Amino acid sequence: MLLFRILSRLGGYVTITLPEGCLEKFVNLAVSRGVFLWDITGIGTGRVAMKVRLSGVQALRHVARMTSCRFKIVERQGLPFFVSRMKRRRAMTAGALIFVAALYVLSSFVWFIEVTGNKLVTDQAVEQVARQAGLKLGVPRWTLDVTTLEETILDQVPGLSWVGVYVEGTRVYIKVVEKKLPPPDETGHPVDVVAIKDGLVKQILVLSGHPEVKEGDTVTSGQVLISAAIPPPVTDEEKETPDGNREDALEPEVQQPLRYVHARGIVRARVWYEGVADMRLVENGAEITGHETTRFGIKFGSKEIILIGPRKIPFEHYAVHVEGKRAPVWRNIDVPVELLTVRYYEENPYTKSYTRDEARRLAGRKALDSIRGQLPEGAKIVDERLEEVETLDSGTVRVRAVVETLEDIGIDQPHQSLDS
Amino acid sequence: MAWKDLKNRFKRQFSDYLELPGDIMLDLPKIVLVGNLQVFIENHRGIQEYNPQLVRVVVNDKIVEVTGESLTLRNILPDEICVEGQINSLSFYN
Repeated sequence: MLLFRILSRLGGYVTITLPEGCLEKFVNLAVSRGVFLWDITGIGTGRVAMKVRLSGVQALRHVARMTSCRFKIVERQGLPFFVSRMKRRRAMTAGALIFVAALYVLSSFVWFIEVTGNKLVTDQAVEQVARQAGLKLGVPRWTLDVTTLEETILDQVPGLSWVGVYVEGTRVYIKVVEKKLPPPDETGHPVDVVAIKDGLVKQILVLSGHPEVKEGDTVTSGQVLISAAIPPPVTDEEKETPDGNREDALEPEVQQPLRYVHARGIVRARVWYEGVADMRLVENGAEITGHETTRFGIKFGSKEIILIGPRKIPFEHYAVHVEGKRAPVWRNIDVPVELLTVRYYEENPYTKSYTRDEARRLAGRKALDSIRGQLPEGAKIVDERLEEVETLDSGTVRVRAVVETLEDIGIDQPHQSLDS
Repeated sequence: MAWKDLKNRFKRQFSDYLELPGDIMLDLPKIVLVGNLQVFIENHRGIQEYNPQLVRVVVNDKIVEVTGESLTLRNILPDEICVEGQINSLSFYN
């Protein structure tokens, strides 16, 4: 019926009235001729109104002549009449067209530029470069080349490590990520190399600075390995002076003050990591079987309405994954409607039991894995040891893993003034 | 007339026996009432009278009379009529 109404609107239809007395003859004849009539209603004062398609009006004239009933057209509706009405009101039609055209044209320019993600770099700096690269207010959208824009901004604005340009409607978002620079040493502040971990120094290679530890030393985290303060070179005379006259020896040191540098170097040390993992002899778990069902719904406030999907979940054990879609927040108007997609994955609970040996092996692997996650890049594993730890619970096997690595433990840190 | 009655009786028995729907075999109207809001009359022979309180539709050899308030003929097709409005009664006349 809806399709019929749409077709009538497109083709145009008219409302006609005729006297009640000759309605029956008229209607029967019209129907027998295949003219479709609808909405026949009495409108009082002895007349009846009905609707007929534009294509049927000519046939109705014939019917009217045969039944000697005169009908009057009282209303014309549908597209053909709308078009002819619009033809008479040219100014309005033109206005509507201009409005649509203006909307289309204006929406193809950039009217807003937003820079986000910057802390140290100013908006102006980014916008300046963007302007030179062709992105400014009022520029047509089709002239924008996002990739070159991104590259240019990244090239020409110092201190950026990534730039993303997104065009959304008339708004352009420039997302930037700033470089994380180490504290600049141009300020003249000296830098030490300190240990980030406890360990046993195996190798020390000093590029600049004064070594504070030597091979074979045990260091703790935070200890200075290579100091920025270089003491004045020890002269031969001082070496020869006996301990007795130390006061004389101290004098030249005062004259020749400490020299401060940016300490650099590699300190390799043996570092020990420890990890503990438990493994139950009887393990309960659930594995996903691959069957799933999806339910779509609308969440209105706290009420949930299921649109598509089963009312009852056909699985006995299942995991739920909820995905919600909300209308974007616009000017503080928060639409309380949420589109929910809930997926249910069927799960199959299982119980596995291990022998003590298997459990020990698995626990050991788990413990080693947990350690490997902590290892920095470039660490070389020298030794791995596993040992079982006694637990109170007889159903659990606990394994402790010790991993020995050889790695660079030095890290730059501003020099703490005067390590006297 | 006796011959026609006989023929009709035979037809009815035949269609009853084969469980064929009467509206096809006996050319009877099929009338569907939707609450008291709508009546669909299929297999009609045209309307005899219409005003907002009363609609008479010719079917086979009888007349169906629908009475009510503010009745409208929603559509008329060669084989179907739909009457809409507040329906009070529906009756058959010879």
